Amino acid sequence: MLDIECAGAEVEETIKRIQSQKGVQGIIIVNAEGIPIKSTLDNSSTVQYAGNVHQLLMKARGMVRDIDPQNDLTFLRVRSKKNEIMIAPDKDYFLIVIQNPTE
Amino acid sequence: MSNTTVKQKRTALKVAKSSKTLNVSSGVFRVNQSITKTINPSISGKSFSSASDSKVLDKSLAQTPKHTVFDEHGQDVTPHPLYNPDPGVLQPKQGKIFPAHDTSWTTVTDFPSVAFQTTNASFTGPFTKSFFGSVSASRTSQTTESVTDETKDLLVKPDLSSSLSDVQARREEVKEQVREDIIDRVVDSYLTETETIWLLDIPAVSVSEDSEDAEAVKERNKYVERSMQTFNDAPKTKEVQSDSITMVDKAVMSSTWDMYDSFCNKGDASENIVVSAEGKKATVPDSSSMNHLLNPSGPDQSMSVFSTTSTVSGSSAHLEKMTCVLPVEEEPDLELILQSDKFKQDLAVMERVVLANIFQPKLAAYRQLPVIEDPDCVQTQIEEESWTEQSKNSLSPFLEHLWVFKCELTKGRNVSSMTWNKKNPDLLAVGYGQLDFKDQKPGLVCCWSLKNPTWPDRIFHCESGVTALDFSACNANQLAVGMYDGTIAIYNVQTTEQTPIIDSSDCANMHACPVWQLRWVDHDTGLAGEDKGEMLISVSGDGRISKWIHYKGLECVDLMKLKSPNMIVNNQRWNPKILSLAPGLCFDFHPNDSKVYLAGTEEGHIHKCSYSYNEQFLETYKAHTGPVYKVTWSPFCPDIFLSCSSDWTIYLWRQDLSKPVLGFTSGQKVVFDIMWSPHCATVFGAVREGKVEIWDLRVSSLDPTIVSVTNPGVNPTALLFTPETDCVLVGDSEGQVTVYKLKNLPAGDSTQVEALEDVIRTTLSSKHTLGKTDRDA
Repeated sequence: MLDIECAGAEVEETIKRIQSQKGVQGIIIVNAEGIPIKSTLDNSSTVQYAGNVHQLLMKARGMVRDIDPQNDLTFLRVRSKKNEIMIAPDKDYFLIVIQNPTE
Repeated sequence: MSNTTVKQKRTALKVAKSSKTLNVSSGVFRVNQSITKTINPSISGKSFSSASDSKVLDKSLAQTPKHTVFDEHGQDVTPHPLYNPDPGVLQPKQGKIFPAHDTSWTTVTDFPSVAFQTTNASFTGPFTKSFFGSVSASRTSQTTESVTDETKDLLVKPDLSSSLSDVQARREEVKEQVREDIIDRVVDSYLTETETIWLLDIPAVSVSEDSEDAEAVKERNKYVERSMQTFNDAPKTKEVQSDSITMVDKAVMSSTWDMYDSFCNKGDASENIVVSAEGKKATVPDSSSMNHLLNPSGPDQSMSVFSTTSTVSGSSAHLEKMTCVLPVEEEPDLELILQSDKFKQDLAVMERVVLANIFQPKLAAYRQLPVIEDPDCVQTQIEEESWTEQSKNSLSPFLEHLWVFKCELTKGRNVSSMTWNKKNPDLLAVGYGQLDFKDQKPGLVCCWSLKNPTWPDRIFHCESGVTALDFSACNANQLAVGMYDGTIAIYNVQTTEQTPIIDSSDCANMHACPVWQLRWVDHDTGLAGEDKGEMLISVSGDGRISKWIHYKGLECVDLMKLKSPNMIVNNQRWNPKILSLAPGLCFDFHPNDSKVYLAGTEEGHIHKCSYSYNEQFLETYKAHTGPVYKVTWSPFCPDIFLSCSSDWTIYLWRQDLSKPVLGFTSGQKVVFDIMWSPHCATVFGAVREGKVEIWDLRVSSLDPTIVSVTNPGVNPTALLFTPETDCVLVGDSEGQVTVYKLKNLPAGDSTQVEALEDVIRTTLSSKHTLGKTDRDA
């Protein structure tokens, strides 16, 4: 149990650290079906991000695997004018971080 | 009368014609109009007509007495009727039935009876009914019919006969006389068979079995087309109505990876049978539609939903699996994710990515990549100013501040040592520990990665302050840590475990004083016999230079004991058995010759020692008046080494000269650390109390080329050049490791070895010329 607690604490710490980095606007953790389970943004933004990112992720993953079924998507970065959205996908979840590094 | 005459005549004729053929009836259908019409309707299909006879008969009827036949001799051979009935007597019905022109004709259907009846007609005269009957019986097989017909006729016709008899009454009177003659006469009737007239010849299709041709016919019959007719039963219409069949459209898009996934998961035991059955259908795109699945309703449908997930595209399969799981457990979902290793990894990567965004220009500068401005970046006024400032000074060399490795943990700790990983040039190990005997607190070793300047990748807590660090070259994950209490520990940095692989605390021979320097030395070059491979060598405050062997625990062998030479010099009568050892503070193995090494002591002496000879020093260099904190060979010139000491000086030595060649002083500050630049032979860096200096001997040997003043109160305590790029790391007493980039140093393509030698030569020659005015520094 101690290990799990430590692990949980470590994870919490890491999330806090990321949140405190310069320009980071929000972190969202979404489960496999597209429901956000943890977020540092307000609810409406979270839901918007989660929904849209989910669709994009499916498309990106489908594309990568269509070309080579043994390949898989590991990271996705979307750079826009105002900020950058970084997505780390996985089978059971995906992690979204929105950052504006030039702040 | 005409009746009889006709009959007579006709007898002969008729007899001739006694055949069964149809010829008789071929000409039959000329009906004697007058009579047949009267008779016809009542009779079943019989019509009375006459053949050629009828003409004759007609004539005879109309003009019987007139018509005579003469033969060639002129004799009257007019045929007389055979039978002349009394006009008054009712003719037997048979006779009346057959009037003068009375070849009774039946229709084609009854032609045998026709034939029969015609003959009957001819025999009416002298013959009785019985004869008729007999004749009829002998004639054809159809006699019974015809007899019945005949009897019908006989019965039907009494009226007709009576009427006929009336008509013929006059005629009979005329012929009375003739009759009498005829009665007496004996008439011979000859019955002969006429020749056979073939009316129809259809050859037989069948042959008797006994015939000769039977065999031949059987042979021919082997392959014969046969046809069969089946019984066609009466058709019956049947109708069935079923319940209306509900049709549902189903479709799926199967992509390349979907098929690959299904193929890979085919043998997966965790899938239930239903799923595997469904899985087989996966290749055929006829499984349930996506829309159908996106709205699973209730647990009763969950099984069907789950079973069809494998057939649908992978992404929605995950979707549906989660849907099934969700109603059962919702809380642990978050926990499971957060605690999974994959998540931690992803978080770490994400952190690095975020930081890479932030530090991108710095890292690019570090790695000597062109620094590209972010096109979306909005430059503020302050940034512009600082930038222009720097650009003004761009000609003179300076240290460009890139970033600082620091975090909460390291705050307040003194950086005692830094070292790069031999294999991964981005990994930096920093040891934190107080160098003084006071303010001792538990030490810390942090492994920093360039990719994350805000938090170390590995943190190892140590019991006492860390004073020395070194990464192994052979096993790049092993980090040797020397501590203030003399303990040496080897950590494995691949794991996050806090415990070292091995500890020297069990060793009986461990150091009793702080381990001031550690080095992994590779003895492969030039040593015969044992001691091949890499060894850990340490120097400690108890005056020993020891070699540590990792064999069932750390064991050490003394390489050298740093005997204090003062003893020997000052008092020769001193009991040599009592040895006092001078604390060793640093050592350095010769880069080319791994047997020779230098050791610096607290007394200010530098000893040149040999690995294989542990009794005496090869040479001693005395110049410093204070503890020698660092001694380091030049990586380019094999004879040159540098030493620094707390007596505010840095000396440049040549190993064959017992006096230093050059001395560098700038201010009265203790020099903590020095290091040759790995790129340029004439450049070295020094860390003093409050200053960071970069010396370039090409430029000047009196003043440092670059001087960077640190914040007041903060002392830089460690210096490290980067092996790949032209950056320098400075660790200070506040726990910060700052990364600087050397800018605008006069770069040379070569390592400037000649330049260094030139400098030394000129210096020596100038000293020489100056003669004894040189003083020992």
